[in-house]
Amino acid sequence: MEITLKNLTKVFQSKKEEETVAVNNLDIVIPSGTLTGLLGPSGCGKSTTLYMISGLLRPTQGEIYFGNENVTPVPPEERGIGLVFQNYALYPHMTVRQNILFPLENVKMDKEEALEKAQEIADLVGIGHLMNRKPKQLSGGQQQRVAIARALVKSPRVLLLDEPLSNLDARLRLQTREEIKRIQRETGITTIFVTHDQEEAMSISDEIVVLREGVTQQVGRPQEVYDKPHNLFVAKFLGTPPINIFDARIENNRLMIGDANIMKFEGKDQEVTIGIRPEGFKMVEKSSFQVEVEFVETIGRDTTLIIKHPNDESKRFRAIVDADFGVEPGDTVKFNVKPHKLHVFNKETGEVL
Amino acid sequence: MEEAVYGNEKQIKRKQMIRLGVVYAFIIFFAIFIIIPFYWMVITALKIESDVFTSPPILWIGLNPFNWAWENFPAALEQAPFLRFTLNTVVVAIIATIGTVITTILSAFAFARLNFKGRDILFMAFIATMMIPGEIFVITNFITVSRLGWVTLNQTYFDALLAMTIPFMTSIFYIFFLRQAFKTIPDELYYAAKVDGKTDWQYLWRVMVPIAIPTLTTITILNAMNTWNAYIWPRLVTMEEEYRLVSNGLRDAFDDTAGRVMYHEQMAAAIIVTVPLIIAFILLKKYIMRGVSRSGIKG
Amino acid sequence: MLEDQSNVKAWMYLLPALILLGIFIFFPIFNAIFLVFVRDYNYQTGQFQGFTLTENFRYVVQDHNFRMAMTNTMLLTFVSVPVSVIIALLISVWLNAIKKLQGFFQTVFFLPYVTNAIAIGMAFAFMFNRSYGLINWVLGFFGVAPINWVNLGASWGHAIFSLLVYVTWLGLAFKIMVFLSGLQGIDKQYYDAARVDSASRSRVFRRITVPLLSPMIMYITVTSFIGAFKAYTEVIGMFGERLGPPGNDRALITVVALVYRSLDRSGVPGALSEAAAASLILFAVTLVFTIINMQVSKKRVHY
Repeated sequence: MEITLKNLTKVFQSKKEEETVAVNNLDIVIPSGTLTGLLGPSGCGKSTTLYMISGLLRPTQGEIYFGNENVTPVPPEERGIGLVFQNYALYPHMTVRQNILFPLENVKMDKEEALEKAQEIADLVGIGHLMNRKPKQLSGGQQQRVAIARALVKSPRVLLLDEPLSNLDARLRLQTREEIKRIQRETGITTIFVTHDQEEAMSISDEIVVLREGVTQQVGRPQEVYDKPHNLFVAKFLGTPPINIFDARIENNRLMIGDANIMKFEGKDQEVTIGIRPEGFKMVEKSSFQVEVEFVETIGRDTTLIIKHPNDESKRFRAIVDADFGVEPGDTVKFNVKPHKLHVFNKETGEVL
Repeated sequence: MEEAVYGNEKQIKRKQMIRLGVVYAFIIFFAIFIIIPFYWMVITALKIESDVFTSPPILWIGLNPFNWAWENFPAALEQAPFLRFTLNTVVVAIIATIGTVITTILSAFAFARLNFKGRDILFMAFIATMMIPGEIFVITNFITVSRLGWVTLNQTYFDALLAMTIPFMTSIFYIFFLRQAFKTIPDELYYAAKVDGKTDWQYLWRVMVPIAIPTLTTITILNAMNTWNAYIWPRLVTMEEEYRLVSNGLRDAFDDTAGRVMYHEQMAAAIIVTVPLIIAFILLKKYIMRGVSRSGIKG
Repeated sequence: MLEDQSNVKAWMYLLPALILLGIFIFFPIFNAIFLVFVRDYNYQTGQFQGFTLTENFRYVVQDHNFRMAMTNTMLLTFVSVPVSVIIALLISVWLNAIKKLQGFFQTVFFLPYVTNAIAIGMAFAFMFNRSYGLINWVLGFFGVAPINWVNLGASWGHAIFSLLVYVTWLGLAFKIMVFLSGLQGIDKQYYDAARVDSASRSRVFRRITVPLLSPMIMYITVTSFIGAFKAYTEVIGMFGERLGPPGNDRALITVVALVYRSLDRSGVPGALSEAAAASLILFAVTLVFTIINMQVSKKRVHY
């Protein structure tokens, strides 16, 4: 089920007549059968968008389509969506089985059939053996699976998850995000999840939608968004460790940071901002890009060099190099930059050049 | 651009409005049901005698306060020495409340902050007694106060006061309530005070009590209200009419034994007794409701 | 940490309360048991005529007033509590559904709780007045002839009906408050989740609201029963010390009233033992029903 958002806008009015534009004219198509992550910092409108897709929030403007059907005027109970709340919202007084069966009670279904379906879904998400327990007897991860099962049991057209991993501890997070991916693969249901953790989004999504202050920044496959950011924000948001930012300029079709000639670049002479991924530095014998290493962190496989920033004495940037080179703090190293790991942005707008 | 509204959207909005309207209607209906006795009390108190004994009853006494029978109030006050009763009630309330507050603070402190052998058992015992009906205590307490010489044929006012206050100088319920409030004060404050060289006594009165003022206020108000409404015990242990409290005065003054009851005066007296409570309620709503919701007992 | 001298200190803090409680709470419990098993106890001299196991109980139970008192108490409890619980539940659900004026109505519904039971009882008595009261006037619209509810010669049936109305009315305020705060404590997300699951309003109420409210409902039911068994002041409020309409004295006597009547005759040897016996019987009955109540609720209550 393809989901299309057209001109989707949500404006909140506070009591003091203040208006907050939470979501600003989103125009997005989410392909059918994919796992899509809505990614962005808090307040960027991602949860608001999710709740508008669910129908629990009415858009101020714009339309939402499931396939060819305009579902904007359709109330949530009729949209055929499954929603997993951040806090799971499991009915504490019901057993796991009863929780999962609850949506089916509101649809005419034969009791036998419903029980079978519930068990099937429970097994799919991995809690089939816990059907008689009450929510408070389950761990956080188990509770979440019950919430997912409850959302899936009515075979929704769309599955929505609000920050599914934020309530779990670090170890469980890794495990659970794989589970989510697996479940989505097996059911094939178009799934949208909201997160502020870029690593999470990058690792499991088929598509990422990056949002900031209610505006779409970029839409695409994770690797694409990482490798080809459309603007400075996206470049900075994705990637661990984060991209290194430098003030630079284009001069004579060359990119210069201070006196260092980084590489050839076509463009008008101007001041620019460039971002270089930590893995984009290659140590070489000769180069005009010369910097002093302050600290060295070795994690076995790679070495991270913490280097004095050429623009600003008080700042540092990170470069990841092979461990073989044996660099010591205080050493001066020379770099070449891998072109595909460098991005040039307009100094004012942040758009990529 | 306007938010899109579709055909059945309007229907849903209308259904919601109707539903809301129905809800309001029911609420207003029951609210009237609740208010009616109060209203009845008030208009009866403000009617002249001939308007009281009419059938069908007069339901509206007009909007002009000058036409209202204010003379019922002084007349009511003549039926019984209400001023005297009010005074008694205030005195009893003050004494009992001060006593209660002090014993409660001390005991709640012990339970909340101090570790001592037998603490939990004692606390359980306290709680258990809360479940026993009050009448059982009353019987023996009556014997006790009599044996102490406070309820005799030549009972003095002082004796009566003692009888009405001493048994109520402490309450397990309030100890429980204050203990809960004390328990919310973080341990760190206590340790910090200790490190500063403060004794427990100082800590209690300089730190815990000020923090717990809202709870103490609630206790004071509830206790005062209970004294105002007290009927049974004061009646039991007072030998003279004039030692009694306000609720006794009200009931005794208008006993329907002989002849006609002067309802208008009766209602005026009822209002005199009720109004202070209502005023207290409106002003101190927060404290009263907090106390009630934490417990469930008026006291 | 600082425990050892705490022991002595703690008991010092508790001393005032302990002394008072010892005399006025703990001692009476034992003394009541003592009283029940002695014969012809004279409290002024402390003398009594030996022990007895059942004489005091028999005396109480055989008192024809006791049967009346039991009947009245049972009737009051088993009618007024369920009725006021149901009405209170409805009112709180409605109150929870409105935003504007919720605070105002909350105050209105809470008024009966803060007022003097005797004052309002008197108002009710006048409302039920045969000739000049509001109730008969309203009934007149339905073609009903004036009924003698509480005045001279009124029957037990009519009198207790009016008392029931009063007691039910009085009981609403506290219940509404507890239910309302319980309802407000239910996380809104449950309702959102149910909405996404297309649950109808009645289903949401039955399967989500009521179960989540069930601890409050049980608490209210249990405490209301216990409170209703102790009905006395309400009767005094409406009927005075006579405990019934003129000419039908003591028609509405309750078990607690019986206890206090015995107390009034405290000079008579043995009267206090009767009072003790009556109150112990009441306690036993209350305990039994409370246990039944809690057992029944266990199945229905979800925490």
